[in-house]
Amino acid sequence: MEIHRYEKIWLAGALLLIVGFIATVSYGAVGAGIAMVDDEGGQVDPASLDDHPKFGEPGTYQAGENEYDVYVVARQFLFEPGTSEPIRVPAHSTVTFHVTSPDVIHGFEVVGTNANTMAIPGQVATITVEFGEPTEYGLLCHEYCGSAHHAMEGKIEVVPQSEWNESMVVN
Amino acid sequence: MSAEPDTEAGDVATPSGDAASENGPPIPDPESVDDEGYVIGSGRSGIVRRIGHDDFDPVGTLVLIAIYMVIVGAMWIFMYFVEFLGGDLTVIG
Repeated sequence: MEIHRYEKIWLAGALLLIVGFIATVSYGAVGAGIAMVDDEGGQVDPASLDDHPKFGEPGTYQAGENEYDVYVVARQFLFEPGTSEPIRVPAHSTVTFHVTSPDVIHGFEVVGTNANTMAIPGQVATITVEFGEPTEYGLLCHEYCGSAHHAMEGKIEVVPQSEWNESMVVN
Repeated sequence: MSAEPDTEAGDVATPSGDAASENGPPIPDPESVDDEGYVIGSGRSGIVRRIGHDDFDPVGTLVLIAIYMVIVGAMWIFMYFVEFLGGDLTVIG
């Protein structure tokens, strides 16, 4: 088959684009340390979350020095904690969110950031992020979950280290 | 004089299918050259000019594709390295 030389040029260009896309995503995973949400969170019984040692009393747990676990139950149509009271985490800390749902699929999105995951009944989604300066983030459900989906929102407060105290953790 | 052919030195038409039209200079088809404007179905049927495979240079197409690829590449770099990697709260585990 005879291929025109111009066609060779744009074929090579298209291949270069594909290789470039794969290379940048590989760099993100290996070089920049971007992680994917996977199934490492394990499974829970969605019908008996109240009996779960952590999801039974969701909130911020201290896991180590400057490391925290935040257990969040996303249900129609609120985040627990998050909606009626904000999720509180200290500034400059590493926080792992464990999110699940007792009813339908929800979304857990920290608005305007790269942190988001689905909340699937029976499955625990875990995402680890590093918080910086004290600020506030919005929290949204970004998977349609029912008639009041649009009202399902919450808040994350990144509290200054000087104001952080033991009453803000469950354990 | 009466023996002189209709055409001179090949600069006027030779009917298509003639051996001289296979590789020669541009030869318009006399049957399609008229002064009555375009009539549907009246396009030239003969070979007007025969060129080699690589003699056709779609430079405009090449430039358009080059511009397109530059735009796609620039948008990808902006989207990934500036918007995504530069974004807040990236999932690291």
